[in-house]
Amino acid sequence: MSAEFVFATAQYESGDWDSAPLLPANIIDTIARYTEIPVAPTGVIVPLSDARLFRYPLVYLTGHLPVRFSDAERTNVRAFVDRGGLLFVDDHNHDIDGTFHKTATEEIARTVAPLTELPNDHPLYSAFFKFDGPPTTSHELNGWGDNLVHKHLLAVQRRGRISVLYSNKDYSSEWNYHPDNKRFLSVDNTRFAVNLVVYALTA
Amino acid sequence: MRSPRSRLEIALRICAFGVIGWMFGQSLRPNAGVRVEHARAAQVSAQLPAWTRQSSNVALHVDLDAAPDAWIVDWLAALRHSGHAMTWSGSPPALALAADAVAGPFGSVHVAVAGPDGAMIHLRDDAGPLDSVRVSTMGATVTTPGVSGDLVAIAGAQRARIHSPDSVQTRAVVVIGDAGWEGKFVAAALEERGWPVIAHFAVAPSVAVSQGVLLPLDTSRVAAVIAVDTAVQAVASSLEAYVRSGGGLVIAGPAGSSPALATLRAGTSSARFTPTALPGDTIALGATGFYPVASLVPGSIPLERRGPKGDIAVAARRVGAGRVIQIGYDDSWRWRMTGGASAEAAHRVWWSRVVASVAYAPGPAPRADEGTAPVANLVARLGPARAARSVPFASRTVDQKILMTIALLLLLGEWASRRLRGLR
Repeated sequence: MSAEFVFATAQYESGDWDSAPLLPANIIDTIARYTEIPVAPTGVIVPLSDARLFRYPLVYLTGHLPVRFSDAERTNVRAFVDRGGLLFVDDHNHDIDGTFHKTATEEIARTVAPLTELPNDHPLYSAFFKFDGPPTTSHELNGWGDNLVHKHLLAVQRRGRISVLYSNKDYSSEWNYHPDNKRFLSVDNTRFAVNLVVYALTA
Repeated sequence: MRSPRSRLEIALRICAFGVIGWMFGQSLRPNAGVRVEHARAAQVSAQLPAWTRQSSNVALHVDLDAAPDAWIVDWLAALRHSGHAMTWSGSPPALALAADAVAGPFGSVHVAVAGPDGAMIHLRDDAGPLDSVRVSTMGATVTTPGVSGDLVAIAGAQRARIHSPDSVQTRAVVVIGDAGWEGKFVAAALEERGWPVIAHFAVAPSVAVSQGVLLPLDTSRVAAVIAVDTAVQAVASSLEAYVRSGGGLVIAGPAGSSPALATLRAGTSSARFTPTALPGDTIALGATGFYPVASLVPGSIPLERRGPKGDIAVAARRVGAGRVIQIGYDDSWRWRMTGGASAEAAHRVWWSRVVASVAYAPGPAPRADEGTAPVANLVARLGPARAARSVPFASRTVDQKILMTIALLLLLGEWASRRLRGLR
């Protein structure tokens, strides 16, 4: 077991948990590019119902389809956040009327606690790069989903720390590309992922 | 025919020699004639006024199954100093009690009791029972969340009492390291236990995430520094002075190999020991490995050993006025996250105790009064236990002085009378 950061993607029994297969490698590249945080070169996929979930205190969960945790998943997720883990959930539909959003938020409320808006001056937005709030994605206004620019992320906080971070921004689409293609961007759109990882590792 | 004055002189001389002879005879007599008054422990307090009115020719003896209250011992000691032969017998259990405020946010009190091996000691305060411990190898320790009023230890009929220590002011704990799970969860655990935490995590060259103001390191605001890894180099210039002035330092895992801590560490940090762990194993502290502390510097003491070769996992030392504890563990967060049902709470408590063990916490010196070790106080004031007759009767010395004075006055009167009428 090494002390390096391992990017973990949650696998759950319902839905399409693997809808952003290129995202982990891209985020790992971003972490290595901007920080000295030792990071594992490849991510892992961890079933929410498996005890291995607790080895990865930051877990990313996404999908398009309805989310309904099994009892084992629910028990594990509850214990995971109780112990200090951070679950980052991103709505791949970026649609507040979509099935993922409705079911995922309901499931989070049932398993952990109801989500509330995260203030845009939260330390998450200044953990590494400075943001005035959640960075807008090109996919929010692409004609799919609700065509809204979501001004806030949602979160469940415990003891002053984020336990569950929920996004309607569709970072899963925004960051789901091969890392080499960053060179075509004038501004790296994955920088917010650095904030997310640094916040998880330091707050 | 002798004159009346001559007869008086002869009488004075006879009386003087009579007194001297009586004194000589008294000195040859055994002590059997000394009157000894006895009292049992329960009767002593009621007996004291009567004993105080007694002639000092009466010896006093007390049978004790427990050391009496301090005021009774004081009274008995006063009687002894007033000329009474004072003895006591019995074998009250030797009990001693000490209490120190634990540095930390909860106002806990660390209680140490000494007593006969195997004795059951009950602890209580003014509010009621606190705990009970069985003494092993002459002592036992308990950490209790708080004490109301006086703390009392009870072993059979013996009681020891101490005033509860004043709580200490809680200062901040600095957690310094690279951004990672260990530092994050150490800081979280301490915050959850109520410690004010100043966190400083290096993220990139010249970039660090800080919570609170790191410098200056000063005992007026920082109780302890936790070096999670070699990133402690960032405060190397002021760390040694801070520790020598009384600050606490926790060196965790790989931080033991940091050059910045070369003069402060308890020993060198060896190559990481990694035991074989099966996927289904329950993770506990150190179950995934640790950095053994080797080559202890003089004055360091090993506190915990583990592994097949008994490697040192925890060691401690003093540096100047400060305390340093070196912990080989580098991934206690795994214990918290993947351990058993109570691992999260145990992780919190463990880290809080580690910090409290070195934290700078000035406070009033513990008051050790006569109630904290009643049997020791009894022996100090009245001497060791012994039978009543084995003691020399101290008051006899006073009587002999009086008698000697009388004899001298008689002889002086006889001599003066003779000289005044012209005889030699």
